[in-house]
Amino acid sequence: MILHAESLNVCMGDVPVLRNVDLSLAAGQVLGLVGESGAGKSMIGRVIARMLPAAFAVTGGSLTFDGANLLAMPAERHRALLGRDIAFIPQEPLTALNPVLTIGHQFNEHLKRLGIPHRREAALTALGSVHLRDPAGLLSRYPHQLSGGMCQRVLIAMAFAAKPRLVIADEPTTALDVTTEARIMDVMVELQRAHGTAVLFITHNLRLAARICDDIAVLYSGAVVERGVARDVLAHPAHPYTRCLQLADPPLTGPRRALYALPENMPGLREAMRTKGCRFAPRCLIAVEDCRRIDPPLGPRAACLRTEFTSGIATPIAEAAKPEIGTSAVLEVSGLAKRFATGGLFRRAAFVAVRDADFVVRDGEFVAVVGESGSGKSTLGRLLVGLETPTAGRIMLGGQDVTWPSEAARRHRVATVQMVFQDPQSALNPRRRVADIVTQAMEARGAGHAARRSRARELLAEIGLPEEAAERTPQQLSGGQKQRVNIARALCSLPRLLIADEIVSGLDVSVQAQLLILLARLRTEHRFALLLISHDLAVVRHLCDRVLVMRAGEIVEQGDVGDVFANPQHEYTRELLAAASA
Amino acid sequence: MKAFRSGRVIVGAVIVVTVLLCALLAPHLAPHDPDDQNLLAQLLPPAWQAGGDAAYPLGTDGLGRCVLSRLLWGARVAMEVALIASLGAALIGSVLAYVAGYFGGWADWIIGRAVDVWMSFPPVVLSLILMTGLGTGERNVILAIVLVDWTRFCRVLRSEVLVVARRDYVAAARLVGFGHWRTVTREVVPATIPLLVTLLSLEMGIAVVVEAVLSFVGLGVRADQVAWGQMIADGREAIYQAPWTLFAPVLAIFVTVAGFNLLGDGLRRTLDVRMVEGRE
Amino acid sequence: MLLILGRRALSAIPILFVVSLLLFVALRVLPVDPAAMSMPPSATLAEIDAMRSQMGLDRPLLEQYGIWLGQAAHGDFGQSLHLRRPVLRLVADTLPATIELAVAAMLVASVLGVGGGLLLFTLRGRRSELVVETGTTVLMSVPEFLWALLFIFVFGVLLHALPFTGRLDASLPRPDKTGFLLLDAILVGRADVLWSALAHLVLPAVALGLAFAPPIMRVLRSSLLDVYHDDYIRQARLRGLSEGRILWRHALKNAALPMLTLMGVQFGFLFGGSLLIEVIYSYPGLGNLMVDAVRNADLPIIQIVGLTYCVLVLAINTLVDALYVVLNPKLRGR
Ligand code: SF4
Repeated sequence: MILHAESLNVCMGDVPVLRNVDLSLAAGQVLGLVGESGAGKSMIGRVIARMLPAAFAVTGGSLTFDGANLLAMPAERHRALLGRDIAFIPQEPLTALNPVLTIGHQFNEHLKRLGIPHRREAALTALGSVHLRDPAGLLSRYPHQLSGGMCQRVLIAMAFAAKPRLVIADEPTTALDVTTEARIMDVMVELQRAHGTAVLFITHNLRLAARICDDIAVLYSGAVVERGVARDVLAHPAHPYTRCLQLADPPLTGPRRALYALPENMPGLREAMRTKGCRFAPRCLIAVEDCRRIDPPLGPRAACLRTEFTSGIATPIAEAAKPEIGTSAVLEVSGLAKRFATGGLFRRAAFVAVRDADFVVRDGEFVAVVGESGSGKSTLGRLLVGLETPTAGRIMLGGQDVTWPSEAARRHRVATVQMVFQDPQSALNPRRRVADIVTQAMEARGAGHAARRSRARELLAEIGLPEEAAERTPQQLSGGQKQRVNIARALCSLPRLLIADEIVSGLDVSVQAQLLILLARLRTEHRFALLLISHDLAVVRHLCDRVLVMRAGEIVEQGDVGDVFANPQHEYTRELLAAASA
Repeated sequence: MKAFRSGRVIVGAVIVVTVLLCALLAPHLAPHDPDDQNLLAQLLPPAWQAGGDAAYPLGTDGLGRCVLSRLLWGARVAMEVALIASLGAALIGSVLAYVAGYFGGWADWIIGRAVDVWMSFPPVVLSLILMTGLGTGERNVILAIVLVDWTRFCRVLRSEVLVVARRDYVAAARLVGFGHWRTVTREVVPATIPLLVTLLSLEMGIAVVVEAVLSFVGLGVRADQVAWGQMIADGREAIYQAPWTLFAPVLAIFVTVAGFNLLGDGLRRTLDVRMVEGRE
Repeated sequence: MLLILGRRALSAIPILFVVSLLLFVALRVLPVDPAAMSMPPSATLAEIDAMRSQMGLDRPLLEQYGIWLGQAAHGDFGQSLHLRRPVLRLVADTLPATIELAVAAMLVASVLGVGGGLLLFTLRGRRSELVVETGTTVLMSVPEFLWALLFIFVFGVLLHALPFTGRLDASLPRPDKTGFLLLDAILVGRADVLWSALAHLVLPAVALGLAFAPPIMRVLRSSLLDVYHDDYIRQARLRGLSEGRILWRHALKNAALPMLTLMGVQFGFLFGGSLLIEVIYSYPGLGNLMVDAVRNADLPIIQIVGLTYCVLVLAINTLVDALYVVLNPKLRGR
């Protein structure tokens, strides 16, 4: 065994973070560690690196690397392993390279420490092995001159340059676009096979893990709840949690189906500590009385008392028929363009963020804008709500021209269109209470306190937050709850059109499913149109009726979701789909 | 307020309040009229030293004036200048900072260039030039400090406003129909208050120093007012015979400034304010 | 480097123009009559009027500025009203002393600041950190003129260890080559002059430098702390680099950037501090010239000295900015 953990326990103070984790990873194998945020999956990498945050400590169990005790060996010996025998691939490639040193400098430093002779040649070979073009030119470049994908390739090249026996990759592609993600995964697998390296692949994405891993371990609330051969786990999940994760994840192919949303959230650490019995019981569909008493041990496959019933958890029945779409257009965009001036006073340049966009959104219609980062899809959204002024073109909102900023256009916009922002952290003023935030639109109109209170209660009920949440501040809410508040604010005065920028990205699958179900329900109740800006094709396919595909500021294809996904016309759409379904 | 659990805030606040009380109660606390010259008791040492006189606890200066009384009356000028000047500078600087940071564009450009021009003068030089123009007097000292130091607020606050104003919740407030005034006052200003309070406290310390400096070179308050800077200038003449006449005002300035700095620093930590540090 | 420097310097020129205009206007609205001041007290009103029109004082303000600018372009900045000498000469005589003092103080401030910042950083998380940090806050509360007075008392009056007036012992001849005394002493090869000049420089330079060191310490410390939260530091550790290497090769270079920004502002302000130090140490530099001129309402001097201070500040800012660009690859090549 290259890496072996036996009943590993990690605590934060007296609160357990990892509980009796058993893992084993043989040479040349790939082990996937899957879990939602807060499950403790990154903690294992940190234990290996001896970089636990302050107040965290290993409180029991063993962890060995190739037979050597990683927990007890002297610091110097441990450090000697890092980079040489155990290499790490980071989550955020853009910030993992020192911004003031060239790639060549950092590569050279690494190789020098490894004691590799002919370092320049070695660096060039390594960069070549991750299929980076012009490795020689790259050596004199700085990280900020490279794209995220290129940085990650450089980091992978560095990791494998030492021919390590173990590579730990913690969400190495989460920060990247789909097409880049697919290519990066290919490179990693290629190098792993070529060197016979063992890889610990940490991810929140079950499908992605299944693609490259030999074995999978699923973490829930600090413990392994299911483990097994990747193919088996994906095909026949034995733990209800794994099964529910799958059902919460909208499929990219096959028939469109309803999602299953796990109720509530994964319990927090302290909360979990107080739970008796199975920690999944409060959310489990097939829980019985025993589950609340007995903490099920990890069996050969799963830590569950009723494994045999897991396969019985069925896909929920298809939702009610989609509400009919009106014939009148709520939004008509023609020839819309936005150029940004860049550079200084003397060397003016222009960057075209959006060019020649033409499309229509009808009343009650859900339309998606998909594209990768830099495709201009977010700028498009900001143009539509008036946060940016277009360079050319026309925006008709509910039959009225709002292209150019004016007080009339602003009033009309306020009444017709609202925006849900991407990052609820930044979109909710931390100094205000939830009740104030969701009724901000009424505050703008000068509505009275009582009216606002009662509307706040209604809105909270609609988005499924408890009434007492009204008095909380955003920091006291979970990520999913914040996003609900974010949606409620936009819905407060029932606009005809909602523009939503990546509102489910960065959320866990189970939370994402809850939000998607919420949006679908609100749609039938209030009949509004939605322009959903997203990079996630599966989400788009699940929620929307029509889709616009954007690349480099241009809409390259648009049409019915079913048609576009089944029969993409543009090459770029095909590329996106291929990358997402790989 | 959690701010008052920080040791620095407490120590700083105690010092500041004490000095403030001294200033307010100077007429009652001072044993003598600060301008009373007792030519029979020139350069007396402090009371606890050999030859000291209990009637003059901190001794007398070259003209036989009571050092303690002058110190207390000097605190009046120092605190008046510190409070009024820093509030004035904060008002001008922060209004310009909100305008520049929130609206951006040409308003930001103009205000930014104005700050550049101001910053190309060392503050001491600029206040000297202003004092030449305005003439001596407490009111002019205050005016000079306001005119020089508004940039400190403007510079630091502007970059903070810039960050806050780009947050999505500010855009969201606009989208639900908030006007600019309401957006700035309800969404932007509250987020910058901690920084403003911190800056204000630090600026008061700076104002005390500037007032002392101006009085020291003879361009501060009018000659008939007692100021610490003037006492230092007088004490410097007698450095060989009567060092205490120099040390008393030096110590007073140091303690007062330290009080403001500790307070400001403690506030910065407890209110978690990020700022570019700097002083004169 | 030179190119960047040139470009930055170019952008300082408009500021200098605005500053000179503002200075001109500000000083002309003063209730002081330069014409009357430039005449002997016995001059008649008519003579003063004649002088006023000769000096161009009866024309519109902007026109006066134009005339002044025209003369300035030919190197004529006017005569001192009080000392009756060309002001340019006066500035040329005193400027080197101020620069010498300021540069020495900057060295002191940088060494203390960087050293102290590193020390503070290595103490992070320890109990002594709080003590040391509160210490810097207290240290920051001592402005340069208090240090100066304190030093005079301790080293001059009590210990008689160091001189505290002027630049040089009165008994020594003053080599007159460049005006930079240390340099001149080396040029003429007089060790005794060099020694005396250094002794005279120590107290003022340390007093001034000491006052400007604490902010540098604190910014270096806090930006090092920030940098240590960055991913590339973690990644460097994961690569197995030693802590020393991480600090010196990876962290310091990044942490230097915010520190440099601060130093640019600080060192600009430091010239203001040098004015006070010069007054206290009777150091014959720009500051004393300025203060004397202010006392005598000698407007031409105030004007040009004010302008000279601006040039000094802008020069320092330009230098620091250029250094910043050199150290920050993101700004380079733009
Ligand atoms: S043990 Fe019970 S509650 Fe836990 S997962 Fe299995 S069935 Fe659900």
